[in-house]
Amino acid sequence: MIEFKDVSVTYSSGVDALHNVNLKINDGDFAFVVGSSGAGKSTLIKLILKEIDATEGTVIVNGFNLKKLRRKKIPKLRRTLGIVFQDFRLIPTMTVYENVAFVLRVIDAPAKYISSRVPYVISLVGLAHKQKSYPDELSGGEQQRVALARALVNDPQLIIADEPTGNIDPALSYEIVELLKGINECGTTILMVTHEHDIVRHFGGRIININAGEIVFNEVIGGANEVQ
Amino acid sequence: MRFSSVKYLTGQGFKSVWKNKMMSFASFCIMLVSLLLVGMCILATINLNKVISGVAGKNEVVVIVLDGTDEEGIEAVGEAIDELSNIEKSVFYSRDEAWEDMVADMTEEQQEVFKYAEDDNPLPDTYRVTVSDIEKLTDTTNQLTSIENVEKVTAPTEFADVLVSIRNIFSVVAIALIAALAVVSLVIISNTTRTSVYSRRKEINIMKYVGATNRFINIPFFIEGMLVGILAAVAAFFLTMFVYKGLGDILNENGQILSILGVRSLYGFSDIIWYVLVGYVLAGGVIGAIGTTISTRKYVKV
Repeated sequence: MIEFKDVSVTYSSGVDALHNVNLKINDGDFAFVVGSSGAGKSTLIKLILKEIDATEGTVIVNGFNLKKLRRKKIPKLRRTLGIVFQDFRLIPTMTVYENVAFVLRVIDAPAKYISSRVPYVISLVGLAHKQKSYPDELSGGEQQRVALARALVNDPQLIIADEPTGNIDPALSYEIVELLKGINECGTTILMVTHEHDIVRHFGGRIININAGEIVFNEVIGGANEVQ
Repeated sequence: MRFSSVKYLTGQGFKSVWKNKMMSFASFCIMLVSLLLVGMCILATINLNKVISGVAGKNEVVVIVLDGTDEEGIEAVGEAIDELSNIEKSVFYSRDEAWEDMVADMTEEQQEVFKYAEDDNPLPDTYRVTVSDIEKLTDTTNQLTSIENVEKVTAPTEFADVLVSIRNIFSVVAIALIAALAVVSLVIISNTTRTSVYSRRKEINIMKYVGATNRFINIPFFIEGMLVGILAAVAAFFLTMFVYKGLGDILNENGQILSILGVRSLYGFSDIIWYVLVGYVLAGGVIGAIGTTISTRKYVKV
């Protein structure tokens, strides 16, 4: 669950990135965050990851009040999240298996659990045959699916996908969002930042539109695929 | 932390040395040179101290027993000398031995003349004393003078002061040099590894995003730095052995150089082998590990 209460962010340069934002995303929601460049989407993500602190207001993520969260406890917050980036951010020197297993190693999971969970999650994203490949041996779509497996492997409460389709072919973009939808149907909350309106129109759901640091639209709409 | 995690992180540290072989090699070379400089400096210092002690040991303190003291009194002086704390050894040198030695050094004509004076031997009974710590020579001389039946004590106190000054100056210079070299090594190692860490900042960034703690991120770098440091230490050890033995052979072959200084030989490498090895490994490991940790600290803050 994500809750923003009267949140404002002003950077040291004086730029007002967010202004008095109130937002609640419940457990199990699938929400698209849309908006033009510089609208405040990245700031929203940075706040959720506690990369930055709100200048004013309160941010609560998965039960953590980020204003009161000490720096030492940030890893605990991030372990409840799965993150998918536009540029995949896979570790190039690790195989697909190692990239995914890495998240479980970070949380000190037992070796037995790692060796059974990782192949299962990799197979969920359809890459069972590429476990031993390195990221540079994969296509953009495949790399993003590895990133998705990595985000999914520790069974997070919330997955944040920051423009996950930005660096892949349009056809593959739909595949990625389908995968996210499938994950959401299993109960995981998904927050997907995108500026691809076609995808939003196609899938529908909760749409949060940010403009100049303010939420100008926050409604649930039906997707084209539902209409068909 | 689970054993499997410790094993994994240690393995990552070992793998990183190979994966970043160019940087590892650069760190290795810098560490090797630094360790060699520090190590050689320490070895030179301890050997110089041995030379100084040798020179100091050659200078005896002569304790002259009061003329007319009976045998019991002479023995009592010897016992009183041995009871003092700074005495390494004391040897009794009787007036008769002194006379015989003096006559033995004379020409035959002189011996003829002095033969008649034998019953009137003017030489005193003495104790030849060697002190353990030349720095305390003045105090020891005062203690010797105050012993009953001691007429006079002759000691090379001025010479001792010069030796002590030389040793003190050298010790201060050596300590300053060693400290400076250690700091310089640490800074250079930290800068070299910083380049390596910088090239992996994205990797560190990803680790932070998936919830890695600072400790989890630091351990492989720490092990990597320590490993490179230990490898450099082992190489420095063998180079030192080679150079030290070579120099030692030259000096020991030309024995007169050392014997002039009152030293029979330098410390043999076999006498100090474990100190050198353990010293190098500890210094290399600690400097490598700390240097790398300093470098990672900046990039760990995401």
